[in-house]
Amino acid sequence: MAVRSGVGSAAPGAAPWRDAPLETTDPFAAYQPPPDTYDEAFDRDGRPHPALSGVIDPLRRIDRTHYRRLQKLAGDAFLRGGVTFSVYAKGEGDLDRIFPFDLIPRVVARREWDRVEAGLVQRIAALNAFLEDVYGEQRILEEGVVPREMVESSRSWRPQMRGIRPPGGVYVHIAGTDLVRDGDGRFLVLEDNIRTPSGVSYVLENRMVMRRVLPDIGAGRVAPIEDYPARLREAMASVAPAGARDPSAVVLTPGPFNSAYFEHSFLARRMGCELVRGSDLFVERDRVYARTTQGPSRVDVIYRRIDDDFLDPETFRPESLLGVPGLIRAYAAGNVALVNAVGNGVADDKGIYPFVPDMIRFYLSEEPLLGQVPTWVCQREPDRRYVLDHLDELVIKAVGEAGGYGMLVGPRASRKQIAAFRERVAADPRNYIAQPLVQLSTCPTWTREGIAPRRVDLRPYVITGDRSWVLPGGLTRVALVKGSYVVNSSQGGGSKDTWVLEEER
Amino acid sequence: MISRVAEGCFWLARYLERVDSLARLMDVRHALHIDAGLSSAWRWRPLVALTGQEDDFRRRVGAELLDDGEAIQQYLTWDADHPSSLFSAARGARENARTVREIMSLEAWEAINDLWLWLQGSDSRRLYQRNRSGFYERMVQSTLLFHGVSHATMLHDEPFVFMELGRAVERAGVTASIVDVHRPADGEEPAGDVDAARWVALLRSCCAFDPFFRRCPDPLSGKAVTRFLLFDRSFPRSVLYNLDQARALLFAVRRNDPVGLPRRSRTALERLRGELLQMDLADVEQRGLHSTLSWIVGATERLCDTIHYDYLDPPNAWLRHCVGVLESLSAPLRDTRAA
Repeated sequence: MAVRSGVGSAAPGAAPWRDAPLETTDPFAAYQPPPDTYDEAFDRDGRPHPALSGVIDPLRRIDRTHYRRLQKLAGDAFLRGGVTFSVYAKGEGDLDRIFPFDLIPRVVARREWDRVEAGLVQRIAALNAFLEDVYGEQRILEEGVVPREMVESSRSWRPQMRGIRPPGGVYVHIAGTDLVRDGDGRFLVLEDNIRTPSGVSYVLENRMVMRRVLPDIGAGRVAPIEDYPARLREAMASVAPAGARDPSAVVLTPGPFNSAYFEHSFLARRMGCELVRGSDLFVERDRVYARTTQGPSRVDVIYRRIDDDFLDPETFRPESLLGVPGLIRAYAAGNVALVNAVGNGVADDKGIYPFVPDMIRFYLSEEPLLGQVPTWVCQREPDRRYVLDHLDELVIKAVGEAGGYGMLVGPRASRKQIAAFRERVAADPRNYIAQPLVQLSTCPTWTREGIAPRRVDLRPYVITGDRSWVLPGGLTRVALVKGSYVVNSSQGGGSKDTWVLEEER
Repeated sequence: MISRVAEGCFWLARYLERVDSLARLMDVRHALHIDAGLSSAWRWRPLVALTGQEDDFRRRVGAELLDDGEAIQQYLTWDADHPSSLFSAARGARENARTVREIMSLEAWEAINDLWLWLQGSDSRRLYQRNRSGFYERMVQSTLLFHGVSHATMLHDEPFVFMELGRAVERAGVTASIVDVHRPADGEEPAGDVDAARWVALLRSCCAFDPFFRRCPDPLSGKAVTRFLLFDRSFPRSVLYNLDQARALLFAVRRNDPVGLPRRSRTALERLRGELLQMDLADVEQRGLHSTLSWIVGATERLCDTIHYDYLDPPNAWLRHCVGVLESLSAPLRDTRAA
């Protein structure tokens, strides 16, 4: 698809790349999204979506040399700022790596975003109600809307939590729901993440770097995101145990060797609270205290970035050194709030996911506003038979895995891989679900061959305290490998700044 | 603040101080080659001893190289397994900075991170090969940059105080050690020019050349230099100046104390500082310069241990006991919260 060489709408003198020689060819000239795929920037006739022309046109003026310079600036900013994760390198100790960043933003028009936002708030409300119910009365199980065995066989089901109602009944303080867009451009929920979703620090840092490197594009029309830490802090304060005036909140990290450590540190810094490890806390008389230079100091709310299993060796894994002995005792006594609540994994289990639309109907008496991907639950006999017969057409996912691991992309897999999954599914059906391959939408991305379409997903973040708030945009992850559907950073994924673009005034 | 974080701040500053003092020492030694015809044994070997790694050097590098200036510089600069090499100390500073990043300003963090990224890259190796003095100066300047930037951009609250405290305590000990390294061997009768070179080297190693001559315009003597580096109350690298600083900082950390927290560090500091205040050079000579300096170095190490006990890593049993005291007090718990 040829794109007409655009005449930029931005004033020529205003752009930082004004000295760069204009390329004789439009960098988008050869841009061609794959068939049956929605493109985030261009319609099927090769015209930018109406909301995006002000973003695409200035990008046409950046030539390759200049682009590389900007990319280097961005990379240096991440590296110097320590926006990195550690990878272990043989013989060299730990090395800092940056999360690959692509400078072409992913843009969502405000009108579309409003619908996404409403859908997310609705979905989180239902998931929260589900958790309150399964750890309480279990109405939904009694009425058979969600099969009891699916809940009780979930690896993340925490029966110890029954009867412990967290402050305000809030379980899902922070959600990072993964969305994709199908061939028609509809947003679909791919996966719920309501345990300890990560990535929000990249959203904020991406924006900082973007503003530094490409300050003029989209200026004034991009919805701000800088409020996130303040909103989270507010939500944390709102669930503090009764009687805590000026509640003290901390972020609990497994430590600097965790790959998301930068984010833990970032959030603590931006929320103005302490970053602690398990060994910085202790429980005495069912209350949580921090070890400080001024002696013991009460802690009211903990944003924990440690998985349930490792939180408290007295209740869960006894060998865990990351957690705080007695923490669950203090939690059960109502003396400390944990963000997110313990046991949430039962609701974002991939085997429970197919039931979320029914949860929305059950708890809210509403129809789901966001669609989701049709899913076969291998636990159920008819589903399993269908899946085993169609492995080469489907995407198979292990329910307990994340990060793009434990996954079979049938249409792109070898016979051997398919045979291996056939055995695994047959041996442990509860652990597998299957979905059709969604043609994830593409977004223009700089590659060695110039600007090319690459598949993206979107992880928006929803914060819930006494009400829900959705961060405008979220983390766009992009599969940098040509043709790939896997956006995870561990497997060749990068990220982009995500703009919710207000209407032009 | 969280004890572990205070510990990170304390050690971050101590490591940087080690970078600063060792780089400066090496730079001066490197230049000494021109100043006086001293053997490299005199110039370099003491530095290996100063970093406390002579045995390690013999074992891993080779005893026969103990007089080899290049081998020793290589070892003290780049050796990743030598805990106090410039490389390791910079890494230690940066690792601590990463664990306390949340209390630092972006600018202060970047000052340390830039140093570390530079040391890991090839530019630093090239500079080391081509312009040794330039390399050491760059190391020193990076630490000065950090001090300036942290002072100018960070909140001057507890984390900053613990950084300053780490620096002051480390510096008091390091200055005493550096004086000790330059001390004439027992019974040594040095020739005049060698002796002068020695004291000049000592002054420059402590960044004290100009300040000293403003204070003591008399002909250069070991006594005057020693007195200046131990007792001057306004020279920022003298032992006493740093103990004064440490005292002010330690008193700033904990103003009120409802539960009677331990205060071993105050006691240790007051004892050391009190003794030094009573001393003059005659007392030092009577006691012996080396044994006085060793006593100071040992006392600062013990001071660090007590700071760990009181603030950085208090025993859990003690903290649990404090919870009991707190709860029995009628004063609301909220008042005892750390800022």
